[in-house]
Amino acid sequence: MSFEPKIVGFLCNWCSYAGADLAGTSRIQYPANVRVIRVMCSARIDPTFVLKALRDGADGVLICGCHPGDCHYTEGNYKALRRYELLKQTLCAFGIEEARVRLEWVSASEGQVFAEVVTDMTEKIRALGPSRFRVEQENASQPVHQEVTK
Amino acid sequence: MEEVRIGVYVCNCGTNIAKVVDCDAICASLSKMPNVAVARTYKYMCSTPGQEMIVEDIRKNNLNRVVVAACSPRMHERTFRKALQTAGINPYFFEMANIREQCSWVHENEETATAKAEALTRAAILRVAHHEPLENLYADMCPSTLVLGGGIAGLSAALELAESGHPVFLVEKTDRLGGNLARVDLTAPHLYSARDLLTDRIARVRANPYVQLMLESELKSLSGFVGNFTAIVGAAKKNGDPHKEHVLEVGSVVVCTGYKEFDAGRVTHFGYGKLPNVVTSFEFEKMLREGNIRTKEGRIPEYFAIVHCVGSRSRDFHGYCSRVCCMTALKYAHEIKSAIPNSYVSDLYIDMHAFGKGHEDFYRGSSEAKTLFLMYGKNEHPVIKRAQPGEESEMLIEVNEQLSGETIEIPADMVILMVGMEARSESGDVARLVNISQDKDGWYIESHPKLDPVATTTEGIFIAGTCAAPKDIPDTVAQARAAAARILGRIAKQKIEIDAVFAEVDEDLCSGCRVCNSLCPYSAVEFDEEKKRSRVNSALCKACGACVAACPSCAIKARHFTDRQIFAQIEGVLR
Repeated sequence: MSFEPKIVGFLCNWCSYAGADLAGTSRIQYPANVRVIRVMCSARIDPTFVLKALRDGADGVLICGCHPGDCHYTEGNYKALRRYELLKQTLCAFGIEEARVRLEWVSASEGQVFAEVVTDMTEKIRALGPSRFRVEQENASQPVHQEVTK
Repeated sequence: MEEVRIGVYVCNCGTNIAKVVDCDAICASLSKMPNVAVARTYKYMCSTPGQEMIVEDIRKNNLNRVVVAACSPRMHERTFRKALQTAGINPYFFEMANIREQCSWVHENEETATAKAEALTRAAILRVAHHEPLENLYADMCPSTLVLGGGIAGLSAALELAESGHPVFLVEKTDRLGGNLARVDLTAPHLYSARDLLTDRIARVRANPYVQLMLESELKSLSGFVGNFTAIVGAAKKNGDPHKEHVLEVGSVVVCTGYKEFDAGRVTHFGYGKLPNVVTSFEFEKMLREGNIRTKEGRIPEYFAIVHCVGSRSRDFHGYCSRVCCMTALKYAHEIKSAIPNSYVSDLYIDMHAFGKGHEDFYRGSSEAKTLFLMYGKNEHPVIKRAQPGEESEMLIEVNEQLSGETIEIPADMVILMVGMEARSESGDVARLVNISQDKDGWYIESHPKLDPVATTTEGIFIAGTCAAPKDIPDTVAQARAAAARILGRIAKQKIEIDAVFAEVDEDLCSGCRVCNSLCPYSAVEFDEEKKRSRVNSALCKACGACVAACPSCAIKARHFTDRQIFAQIEGVLR
């Protein structure tokens, strides 16, 4: 069976989650690989959420917030951006490819943009293959004798 | 601690969900999860029998948590929270899985859509087990309202509120009331005079003791929250005294800032600005109001051509329809014929949008009045050129007529360009001041495009009229009065309910580092100098969670969005 990436999406309630809903009401099709978790603001996204998702077997994490200047809480998205830049350095040290954790601005009227982001990210991660954490986990959970019998 | 007993309800939404997602299979699989006491599917969970099913299950099976997998929580979270309340349990013991907007409507493959819907529902089940009972807060509702904009929308909203006996601050940037409507002569399709529509309302606004009219003024800042805003209104830029600022306490804000007309100079191919008798609809409107239709040279024109969709429905400018231009063009045909009976009117359109009440009759009337209708293609345009000396008209228009399939040349002494509506250039500044969003064209976004068209995502801020999208006068007035009605309903209750979702600091964990203090955009985090601990003022907190994610000691809890709840959700979607 071909590899199907698992992507966890953290979307802010006001812009991006509404944008994802709009993709739905507009019936814009995109791959089913993303599973969305709603937060009030992208600034709520603690870097540990991303790390936990990766540790629990996500192949990618998508963070979406309002466009700069359009945050419901004035500037939460800037805080998310700063945390994201720092987090990327940490992930890089862990050997996590940059394309696996992505920050995008999606407004409430950009259903099309959300669908395009998910489609593009799914394709990129499909090309990268499973995350190393997922591979390690799956190997660890496999009984050893199976390896031998191969 | 009491045992967690969860009821799981998977909605078919008619066939909206069930067509792609195997709801029964999800139910069967999730019913085996720990703590799940009941799992059912139903046609429409939001219907009265659907809600009654939940209420009955809660009572019969001693449920203390409920998960509904259905549409977006933005649609029905409140509906189901009410059902929990009816059954006597805390409304926050509820979680929704969005398997319609974010699953069945966007995926076609049954297998993957069902797997995703199951994962989302599983995440909701794991999350709801960690939910805590929360009590909503109540705040006083200030009965005063700030209305921004003195056009027909602002006037209508202000009158509705003031005539019910509630104070209104009506802020208008220019030195007069009436907005864009004051620039119009007659209105389509009934040919009422715009002046008559306005003068009555303006007189009533000026005479009403509850209206404080603030001309040549604009909003400088807005702080606070629904029911309790503080607005600072000062002199509009350029003119007026910059030191004269008013601090106003208001409970609600209605934004009625209107539109501006598309700048015809941006379209080069119609010769606007070069050919003297190519005019915009607003320039022609001025001639009509003055009762003096003349060419630049002072002649009475014989041949008129009206060009639709200038700047609208075009790849290069605005993609949307401006809604009022078609009927306005027909109104011009009427007014021209009655002012200059021997004139000829050609109407160059792409599609005739006659969607409103009485519009189709008006269109038929114009056809019978011998207006020559010529259809041109979308993304094509008629070519206007100067006629040779000696021709009977001043200009010639070449149009690739769609219905006949022929290229037709028509004479014109005056060309009227039907310019569309666009968002005002300062609409972004206003959006930021009152904290509302704009779409890609700059129009303000409503809370829900169909079901909540005058509210915005910021509680207490309403939008009405053409600042939200192009619309005609009846729609504008309806929206303005609807916004006023929403506000009156809240004023009548005197108290407003505020979601129990806000941040709180655990004093035992707080190290007093004060990282959170400067992060809060609402200055809701205060520092207790005596205890050396930070504290959240719940009335000011808007629950963004920026401080929660920043706290190095994990001492701040985002109520209803706790780390544990979100971790459970992450585990659920990935299991």
